[in-house]
Amino acid sequence: MHAIQQQYWAVRDYLSPVLKESKFKEHGRITPEEFVAAGDFLAYKFPVWSWERGDASKARDYLPADKQYLVTRGVPCLRRATALAYTDADEDAERLLSFGDLSSTGNEADEWVETHTGRANTHDSAANPGEIDEIPDADDGAGDGGVSGAMGGLSLGDQGASAGEIPDMDDIPDMEEEDLEAAEDEATAAPTKPVADSEGLEPCEVEVAKGNLLQVRTYDVMITYDKYYQTPRIWLIGYDENRTPLTPSQIFQDVSADHAFKTVTIEPFPHSATLQAASVHPCKHASVMKKVIERMNQGVIEEQQARRASGGAPVQKDKRGKWLFRRASGNGKDDKISAPPGEEDVEGMRVDFYLVVFLKFIASIVPTIEVDSTTAF
Amino acid sequence: MPIVQFAPLNSLVEPPFWHALTDFKIDVLRLDDTAVPVTASYSAGRSVKDRETGREISLGCNLSVNGDAYKEDLQLPPHSVPVTGIFKNFNTIEDFKAADKTVLFNSVADEIWKSIIEDRSTAQLSRFLLITFADLKKYKYYYWFAFPAFVAKPAWVIDDDWKAADEEFSEDALVAIQQDLHTNPRPFFLIRTSSGKLELAPVESYDTFFAEVPSEQRTIGFLDPSAAPSNPGWPLRNLLAYLRAVHPASTSKLRVICWRDTELPGEGHWRSRVGVLSQAAGASAEAHAKPGAVGWEKNVQGKLAPRMADLAPMMDPTRLADQAV
Repeated sequence: MHAIQQQYWAVRDYLSPVLKESKFKEHGRITPEEFVAAGDFLAYKFPVWSWERGDASKARDYLPADKQYLVTRGVPCLRRATALAYTDADEDAERLLSFGDLSSTGNEADEWVETHTGRANTHDSAANPGEIDEIPDADDGAGDGGVSGAMGGLSLGDQGASAGEIPDMDDIPDMEEEDLEAAEDEATAAPTKPVADSEGLEPCEVEVAKGNLLQVRTYDVMITYDKYYQTPRIWLIGYDENRTPLTPSQIFQDVSADHAFKTVTIEPFPHSATLQAASVHPCKHASVMKKVIERMNQGVIEEQQARRASGGAPVQKDKRGKWLFRRASGNGKDDKISAPPGEEDVEGMRVDFYLVVFLKFIASIVPTIEVDSTTAF
Repeated sequence: MPIVQFAPLNSLVEPPFWHALTDFKIDVLRLDDTAVPVTASYSAGRSVKDRETGREISLGCNLSVNGDAYKEDLQLPPHSVPVTGIFKNFNTIEDFKAADKTVLFNSVADEIWKSIIEDRSTAQLSRFLLITFADLKKYKYYYWFAFPAFVAKPAWVIDDDWKAADEEFSEDALVAIQQDLHTNPRPFFLIRTSSGKLELAPVESYDTFFAEVPSEQRTIGFLDPSAAPSNPGWPLRNLLAYLRAVHPASTSKLRVICWRDTELPGEGHWRSRVGVLSQAAGASAEAHAKPGAVGWEKNVQGKLAPRMADLAPMMDPTRLADQAV
């Protein structure tokens, strides 16, 4: 069934035309050219991202041969998404974050809300006994046990995964050869597991790890262009702390529960003949991106108008002018605001930012994988 | 004075490498089990800040092998340096078990030593060995890496502890190093400051580059795949062996910078570490004799044994169909 579905997708993808006209403000979709422009911007601003060629036989002709997809390697993932399940208690813990450089002002419109900021502390029942009391502990009386017990119950595929984590001993050829290296080498550092000290870590956060080890997984994250949905599409290949590839069920532990098995599935990676990777299905990307862009665009336009009015623009303009300037061709409501006939007066949010915004959206689906390196700015 | 402990390299095999191996084995190698050259890469060690506890967690000291490893013109990830190695695939698990690993290991160590003594080159200092057995029907790959490193006798000790680079170098100097390495990534380099200006040079030009420089202003640098605060990465071991063998007179005490900043630190701090290493006298008696080498990678259980990558969940069509509901 799945195979038939994949064939169908492949045919559909082949038949669908390449989007020619820029639609990113109206529909949240982008053309391949805009994908390349946004990718160039992302790779320049955040050099952890780079373009890849991929398998030559799978190259898409609507993208430049050396810019088939974007990749970043070794993205850390400190905790499982299941450990992030929130309780009502930290609903109000919100904080405004400003990414000054990203949107080049300290304008309030550019601030993002970080929710659940004080969460680590609220877990500490000894320090905050009052708040814990507010949680109705239905079955097991102890406040702390109630929270972490509920969390433990939420973890997804936990049992199967921890069983799968230790490979069958029978499968490994029994060939320990300690005599290969004569003596212990005093200049070799002990195996450096990322050890976390026991303080400040609740058992539920460490999850399946034994002995308070943080299981630092790493992910290779790829962004391809999906021709049918005309949006970027994200792909994940994961490794556990011993650098062995993760199985699909382990990857789903890092996907927020709303999305695992629904929007995140294992699919053949389009730029390789054989590789399979976890992917976030892009069917809703365009509509979500449209909403986010509309909201951001409003802020960007106001800011640009304000800057033009104040006349203090030149320096900023030069700095930004380095970027390939693309104007959206549509005539949405944004363009009515930018009615003045001047050339690059009020352009709104440029498509270059598309992937930066896209990553923030993806970060909500895979909350513990730090794909969104852009917050560092 | 504490002995310097080096963080061993960890192999990180990207699944595309196994896919490429499958094709390579079926289409090119077939039953041929001669050694083939492969290329891997490493980049500066990274650490992440845990947002909840505020601690820095260092990520592994990784050498990654990707699907391009057999190709001549491989595309390296940004800021990383290539490492060539020898790859040997065995046809049966019995061959894999029975192979004389000591001989294989020593041959690679010999090649490294030869490149030091005869070629005086640093290009092969991080040469590695990879032996594999691919169970293609079950999508299981047994593999074992070795990163030969020469054992210094007596061991290197560190004068003080490793310090943050910005305690030893000015901000401008560090920015200059970052920019030089950004345009021209190199695994090993020399640093000197002449008339207030900082310069970098390849290690091969040690004699000319450091000719006029007093020994306390000389610095040896290397791209450090380790991110642990007091453990420099594995590649430094062979660099030190190289310096001791090629320039025995002036290298019993060295200032070393472990370069870990591929990007300028935004508001954070510099991650690179600086330390002054020294080796007790009595080492250079026979500088050209090959020292012993260590470096087999340990498996998940911490034993000297091969690792296994089980890609059945990601490659086996029947299992993929199962999870696709």
